Amino acid sequence: MNTRTEFENKDVALIDILDAVLDKGVAIKGDLIISIAGIDLVYLDLRVLVSSVESLMHSSRDGLTSEQFDEEKEELNRVIS
Amino acid sequence: MSDLIYVYGIINENQTPPVFKGIDGERDAHTISLGKVDAVVCDVSQQEFGEEALQQKVEQADWLHEKAFHHHEALMKLYEYCTVIPMKFGTIYKSFENLERTIAKHCDQLIESLEVLVDKEEWNFKIYCNNEKLREGIAIHNPTVESKKEEIAGLSPGRQYLEKRKLSQLVNQELEKEKESFSTLVHDSLQAFSVSSEVKKNWNKDVTGRNEEMSWNSVYLIQKNQVESYLDHIKELQKKWEDSGWMLEATGPWPAYHFVALPKSEGTR
Repeated sequence: MNTRTEFENKDVALIDILDAVLDKGVAIKGDLIISIAGIDLVYLDLRVLVSSVESLMHSSRDGLTSEQFDEEKEELNRVIS
Repeated sequence: MSDLIYVYGIINENQTPPVFKGIDGERDAHTISLGKVDAVVCDVSQQEFGEEALQQKVEQADWLHEKAFHHHEALMKLYEYCTVIPMKFGTIYKSFENLERTIAKHCDQLIESLEVLVDKEEWNFKIYCNNEKLREGIAIHNPTVESKKEEIAGLSPGRQYLEKRKLSQLVNQELEKEKESFSTLVHDSLQAFSVSSEVKKNWNKDVTGRNEEMSWNSVYLIQKNQVESYLDHIKELQKKWEDSGWMLEATGPWPAYHFVALPKSEGTR
C-alpha cells in the first residue's frame, strides 16, 4: 500500500469544507450578491464569533487596508446586532 | 419566473464529466460551452435560489451546511475526472448571457489557471499540539529554562519561591517560541515539495472541536508525482514527533480552492 492511500479520503472536518467553499474558491462576480457574511454566520453557528473577532484583530495588525477592515467590521456588526 | 444558473466550476472545453444531481436535488448538472472553456452548472429556481430566498436560506445553518457540502462533493467528482477551477459557493447567474459575458472577461486567465493546475493537487496541512506534553518537555530540555533553574538553585529560600513562580511564565514563553519555530521549520520542509503554498490562520478550539491546540494551518499545491514524497515526509515527521506532543495532519487531495487568483477589482464579494 502506498502512503497516498493512507491519507486519501480521510475524514475531513466540516469546518475545512465550509472554509474552503464559503471563504476560498474563486470569486467571479455572479449576478446575485448574497452576503455570506456568511462565513461569520457559519462561524457563529459553530460558536466561534470569538474567532471572527480574533481574525479581525489579527488581520488589522497585519496591516489590512482600511477598506477591507471596514468590510469585515461591517459584516461582524451585522452578525452581532 | 425564469430559472437561474448555479455555477460549480470551470473546466477545459470538450470534456464529458460525470453526471450528478444538481444543488436543488432534482435536476442534473450539465456543462455549458463558453468559448474556450466550459462551465459546470445546474439550473435552479428563483423560489429557492433567488436573491432574497437565498439570503434567508444561508442564514439557516442546516441548509447551508448541506448545500455547501454538496458544492464540495460536486467539485470533488469533477476534480476526479478533470482539472477544475472551483467557484465559491453561491455563484449564481440570472441568464446564460450574463454568465457568458463574465466568463469572457476572464477567459484568458481561466485558461492560464487551468494550465497551471494540470497534474497538481491541493493538500491541507495542520499541526496540533498537546500543550501539557510540550510544557513537560520544555521543563526538562529547554536550555533557557535549564539555566534559569540553575540560577534559582543558588538563591536564598525566599528568593527561590518567588523565582520559581516566574519559572512557569518562562516555560509558557518558551512554549510559544517552540510552537512557532517548530511549525515554521516543518512548513519550510514541506514547501520544498510544493509549487506554491499558503499559510492560513490557526483556528481556535471552538472551531475545530478538538482538545489539542492548532499551531499551524497551511495549504500546498503539489505536482502529482511529488505527492507521495510529500506524504512520506509527513509520515516520517508524524512518527518522529508524536511522543513529544505534536500531531501532524494532512488531508487531500482537494479541488484547488486556494490557488486560483483572479484580480480583485473584478469583484470578490
